[in-house]
Amino acid sequence: MEIQVSVNEQLTVHCMDHLEKGISRQLHRLGIKPGTVLTVVRRYPFHGPVIIEFDDQRIGVRDAVLQTLTRR
Amino acid sequence: MTTVALLGNPNTGKSTFFNCLTNQYANVGNWAGVTIDQTLGNIPKTNINIVDLPGICSLTPITKDEAVTVDYLLDNNPTDAILNIANACQLKRNLLLSIELLELGKPLILVLNMMDELSQSNVHYDLDILSHRLGCPVRATAARQNSGVDEVRACLSNQTTITTSDPLKLDYPRVISADIRDATTQLVKKHRLSQNFARWLTIQFMSDNDAVVKYVDEHRLDTLSEGRQTYREHHYADQIFHVRLTFIEDTLAAATSFTENRPQNTVTTKIDRWVTHPILGLPIFIGIFWFMFKLSFDWIGTPMSDYLNTLLSGPLSEATNHWLTVVGALPFLRSLIVDGIIAGVGGVLTFIPQIFVLFACITVLEDSGYMSRAALVTDRLMQLIGLNGKAFIPLIIGFGCNVTGIMATRTIEQPRERLVTTLIAPFMSCSARLPIYSLFVTAFFNQHQAVIVLSLYFLGIVIALAMAKFYQLVFKLKDASNFVVTLPNYHRPRLDLVIAGAWQKGKGFVKKTGTVIFAGTVLVWLLSNIGPHGYVINIDASFSAIIGHWLQPAFAPLGITNWQTISALMTGVLAKEVISSSMIVLFHLSGQTSLVTTFSTLFTPLSAYSLLVFILIYAPCFATLGAIKTETGSVKWAIYSLISSTVLAYGLSLIIFQVGSLF
Repeated sequence: MEIQVSVNEQLTVHCMDHLEKGISRQLHRLGIKPGTVLTVVRRYPFHGPVIIEFDDQRIGVRDAVLQTLTRR
Repeated sequence: MTTVALLGNPNTGKSTFFNCLTNQYANVGNWAGVTIDQTLGNIPKTNINIVDLPGICSLTPITKDEAVTVDYLLDNNPTDAILNIANACQLKRNLLLSIELLELGKPLILVLNMMDELSQSNVHYDLDILSHRLGCPVRATAARQNSGVDEVRACLSNQTTITTSDPLKLDYPRVISADIRDATTQLVKKHRLSQNFARWLTIQFMSDNDAVVKYVDEHRLDTLSEGRQTYREHHYADQIFHVRLTFIEDTLAAATSFTENRPQNTVTTKIDRWVTHPILGLPIFIGIFWFMFKLSFDWIGTPMSDYLNTLLSGPLSEATNHWLTVVGALPFLRSLIVDGIIAGVGGVLTFIPQIFVLFACITVLEDSGYMSRAALVTDRLMQLIGLNGKAFIPLIIGFGCNVTGIMATRTIEQPRERLVTTLIAPFMSCSARLPIYSLFVTAFFNQHQAVIVLSLYFLGIVIALAMAKFYQLVFKLKDASNFVVTLPNYHRPRLDLVIAGAWQKGKGFVKKTGTVIFAGTVLVWLLSNIGPHGYVINIDASFSAIIGHWLQPAFAPLGITNWQTISALMTGVLAKEVISSSMIVLFHLSGQTSLVTTFSTLFTPLSAYSLLVFILIYAPCFATLGAIKTETGSVKWAIYSLISSTVLAYGLSLIIFQVGSLF
């Protein structure tokens, strides 16, 4: 099920196991772990990337990754 | 001699630090992945060597440039001490790496850099608490402002700080700790590793570090290989990560205090409101590039180039000719110097202003932090061709020089994506192709110079993207979702860094004029003055003419009918700038101005454009082919690139000329 996230919404990371190994590692190293609260700062049209904010830093990831991270 | 390695997360200012400490210039930029190989320097008046290494988030490498750093550490313990540069604003994730480094047991100085940015927030760190908990000296700096660097230098010169140290020991779960102890003892006993290195290696191996696993396999450290199954089954890697993160959170909680200072809307947020705008972001990106080209070709670069040209082909050429006649030099020698070297090499030298302005613009983009925003706004577009926005950065750098562009592909995670980006990078119209564009544009499209040049750059991008789509289908690339880009705070570009950066990138061009272009010009001059029967008076009997005539039937369908141009194209493989110097020599002219006049009798605007398209796409220069070979690790890809691009160039020019002739 696809969740429609909107800008400024806060999402909690639930599970990182369904991500590709490479990308979950990368996010891990930036300090994302289950329980991390992410704020959506920007969304690009046509399911483009999203900018998320956590621990005072901003990163861009693909929409699909954000969906997987925050899916319950 | 003491060797100190600069280590830290990407984009924390390691290279800026390196430049401050050593008074040298290593390329700096405000995006992750500027440094892609190690650079060595010396602190003046000391016996301390500094090694600048690509940034890493952790010791588990994901990209090729990160592997450079990890391999460096694994390789015989080469460094005596570590200077760990951390971004003070993102201390939490920076400390993840610091812990891995502290476990290595080398003397380490932790530098909290970018304190100026931290001071704008309401966070304050107690350095003594950090130092006490981590067990290493901690210093605060703002390297861009040169503040605090002297303290670090003093700290490095202090023998005791950089010779003695104990590894950091975290409280891993009991079972893991016991396993670490056992494996370490075994490694020390059986394989004669040092205690610290063995312990560090064990922890890294348990954390599933690919580079370490490879190292263990290669060195047949069975003690560890045997345990792999158990470590994996019981998720040692996750447990270790968890302990580290908890330790960091505790440490930071103890060391952090909050000041009254209310964090305001920073400059970065204000700029990003527009620059990363979902809809306006892409037009702004295009606008920035339009501005960059206008600056290089219309507003600053071209007027300066024209001035230089007048000087070189006029007074300098005449004076030299006069002087050589007076001293009685042989006509052969006089012709070589005046018609060959001054005209040919000089013809290329006049493009220095344009190229330096372009390089300065690219440096500003790198230094300000815009590059990662460019990756972000182009990501959706790149997704269509199976790449991600990060692949756009090497392509932009390729506008300066394809070789540096190809080297910048090292920051791309997936090997397949990296290969595709390497193969399409040569279609980016590099600055070396500019001289020849300028000549033809002046001759045929005087009213619309910038538009025509821009159309070639744009065509290069379109071809690159189309070829990427083609490779995506051929290689069956999945729609990769692996795109993570960090958005650093903007920096105001520093004038001295911009100048140093432009010089660093552009000096290769100047060097080339003295070597490859010089040699190429002399070669062309010789070939056009010597024929099968020795020195020729009439150029039509020379080797150049013979080769050109022989290939003429092949080029006629493209609208290129004079042999001089064909011979000049052949020499372009040496370096693209050689094409214009060859033409000046082959047409026996004194410089650009007369070449422009000659063109109008030999080309029509259509055949001129067809030729420019051919030059844009055909065979990459030798340096680029070399880079393709190095980065792909195979000579086959270099040969493939040579052949495929020439075929593509021929096909496209053919279509343009033939279809265009119908109207």
